[in-house]
Amino acid sequence: MSTEGNLLSSQAQLLAEPLEHLINRGGIEVPMLPEVANKSLLLAQNPDSDASEMAQLIQSDQSLAGHVMRIANSAAYTPMSNLVSLQQAIARLGMGVISEIALTAAIGAKMFNTPGYEDYVSGVWHHALTTSLWAKEVARHCRSNVEVAFLAGLLHSIGRPAILQTIIELAKKQQVALTQEDVHQLENTYCHRVSVAVVNLWKMPILVIEAVSAYSDYNNTLTISSQAAQVTVGARFAAYMLTPERVDKETLFILPALATLNLYQDEVENLLNHTDVIKARLGGLSS
Amino acid sequence: MSNAGFNYDMLVIGSGPAGQKSAIQAAKAGQRVVIIERDSLFGGACVHRGTIPSKTLRENALRVKNMRQNAALADFKLGEETEMVTLIDRLDEVLKSHDKYMRKQVDRNKVERIHGRASFVDNHTIRITKVGGDTTDLHAKTIIIAAGSYPRTPDNIPIDHEHIFDSDSILSMLYLPSSLTVLGGGVIASEYATIFQALGVKVTMIDRYPTPLGFLDSDMTDTFVKAFNNMGGTWMGSQDVEKVYWDGVSEVVTECADGTVIRSQKLLCAAGRLANVKGLQLENAGLALNDKGLISVDENLRTNVANIYAAGDVIGPPSLASASMEQGRRASCNALGISTGVMSQLIPAGIYSIPELSSVGLTEKQAREQYGNVIVGIAQFAEVARGQISGNTEGMLKIVADPQGKKILGVMLVGEGSTEVVHVGHMAMLCNADVDIFVESTFNFPTLAEAYRIAALEILAKRSE
Repeated sequence: MSTEGNLLSSQAQLLAEPLEHLINRGGIEVPMLPEVANKSLLLAQNPDSDASEMAQLIQSDQSLAGHVMRIANSAAYTPMSNLVSLQQAIARLGMGVISEIALTAAIGAKMFNTPGYEDYVSGVWHHALTTSLWAKEVARHCRSNVEVAFLAGLLHSIGRPAILQTIIELAKKQQVALTQEDVHQLENTYCHRVSVAVVNLWKMPILVIEAVSAYSDYNNTLTISSQAAQVTVGARFAAYMLTPERVDKETLFILPALATLNLYQDEVENLLNHTDVIKARLGGLSS
Repeated sequence: MSNAGFNYDMLVIGSGPAGQKSAIQAAKAGQRVVIIERDSLFGGACVHRGTIPSKTLRENALRVKNMRQNAALADFKLGEETEMVTLIDRLDEVLKSHDKYMRKQVDRNKVERIHGRASFVDNHTIRITKVGGDTTDLHAKTIIIAAGSYPRTPDNIPIDHEHIFDSDSILSMLYLPSSLTVLGGGVIASEYATIFQALGVKVTMIDRYPTPLGFLDSDMTDTFVKAFNNMGGTWMGSQDVEKVYWDGVSEVVTECADGTVIRSQKLLCAAGRLANVKGLQLENAGLALNDKGLISVDENLRTNVANIYAAGDVIGPPSLASASMEQGRRASCNALGISTGVMSQLIPAGIYSIPELSSVGLTEKQAREQYGNVIVGIAQFAEVARGQISGNTEGMLKIVADPQGKKILGVMLVGEGSTEVVHVGHMAMLCNADVDIFVESTFNFPTLAEAYRIAALEILAKRSE
């Protein structure tokens, strides 16, 4: 999705300087990480917490509780069964999965005010969610922990809606008329820096911050390269799964990130065979 | 095939300790050498997933343990949400310098490096498959297999790298867990169990054998288990694990054959390692694996195919980086007809648990089987001034001498500093020195090396009994 380095139009140039200024002084308006998302993450990681605490937290938000129950009862998670309580759902699916469901429900396109671009932002979020599922699958194949891959995949492009919201507000305030192309050029230019700022602001685990930071330059350091590469591969697989007409399958086999992860052609083919599983999980999470 | 028909004089499969040393040795002898490595990172599992990362974590675990011991100086407790990455904070730096050093050494010796998978077409031809799928056939006069090993996964352990880990993935945990079950009683299991226990994790170590590290004498392993228990760990020997599963909520459940059930937040399976030979298509070269799944070699590290040698983990024990390096070097020398002398059987073993253990030569048990009434001298670190000063009082040193109390047959240590201090005994054995050398020589005071004198004096005293 990145076209960083593209020449900006004269109209877009008018906003480039104030955007730079805002980013440099940390002035991009970023919504706080919803409390329920933050708490569910902490609960899932806290060895002393139990299912009842998680159930209590989710119940504190009625629409979230309904959402979690709907997903927990979807065919992707519990085929042939009917879960009636949140505690039952947590017991069946585990704190980690419930935390993922709560997190993806709480963070999303609706967090940002992007009039005229709602569908686009929804698409960006859908891609991020798919990326997180693929990154997790790739990480598991690489015998590496899957938690970082999921979170980094989910948040790797969180800067897009955030900068988009700022561009729209700034253009309105400064009365600069921008075409959609101008908006996307600016978005592509600054989204990565804003993504990094958001994950820092949300105090994500260090490895997640490093993976998101290194996403556009995943060969930067020895230790982070594999996690950033997992997200890179996840993002491309996600793009192929969501819009196969726009991604040539052959290009998936020659991604530079595959070399970092030592994913040979037969392994890539094996991973792609999991597409139906990822689709089912995605259907569950975004239902 | 004439020499002119070969692309290389020597082709080495694997860039770990054995592969590197064999390649460099051959290059120094003027050979055209190439290393094929399937991983994008140079150096093998030892560098990137095993030895170096775990030792980096160990250093921090020791700091934490020492800070806890010195509660009078600092009331120290790790935070509840300590991220693993903060405990391996210097790893990036350490790996970068190691990678730089290794690459420089290989490049300086004009050894070529190729990133790809190797498979035999015949005994002189290796097919390289690149990540992108391109293939190239390379012909080499001599081939050295140094492909290393990977963790074994028993059928009843569903490793998911999320709750249930193997030794390759354990360090990629996001947070330090509150409790950990470690399956196994070997070197890797003992190292990780004690490192995590020192970090304050509640560790339960389960194995089918009655004691961990069964290749050492029982007094050494008893000291090890006592130290582990004193830190708060639990050793459960003689237990057969029947089933392991994630309970779907918050714990991994381990069910033993006798009905014992252990619950922990995470689990590490350290059930040995297997030779990394999958995909090599050894049969195309006329090679086969032995019944242990390893490549058999003779005393010259040559396989049953004349131009193919093997070294390191693919040939089995001792599977130590130090031994693999020497095997790699010797495999090259043997292939090139360079005289090497007899390979010393005295290979020290170092176990980087907390506390460390180390040994060289025969254990007391082995010595009694071979020599009968051997004489043993023991020094407790608590008797050594340096041990008292540093609070390192849990350890001991043992010298095993022949029935005359002269010849040193083995040296074993448990306690911090063991992997360094063992080399004093190692050198004495290599020089065929008598036990007396430890009494007649002067050691720095206060040092742990002083334990040699104490143990040797005990042997001298027993000579006259």
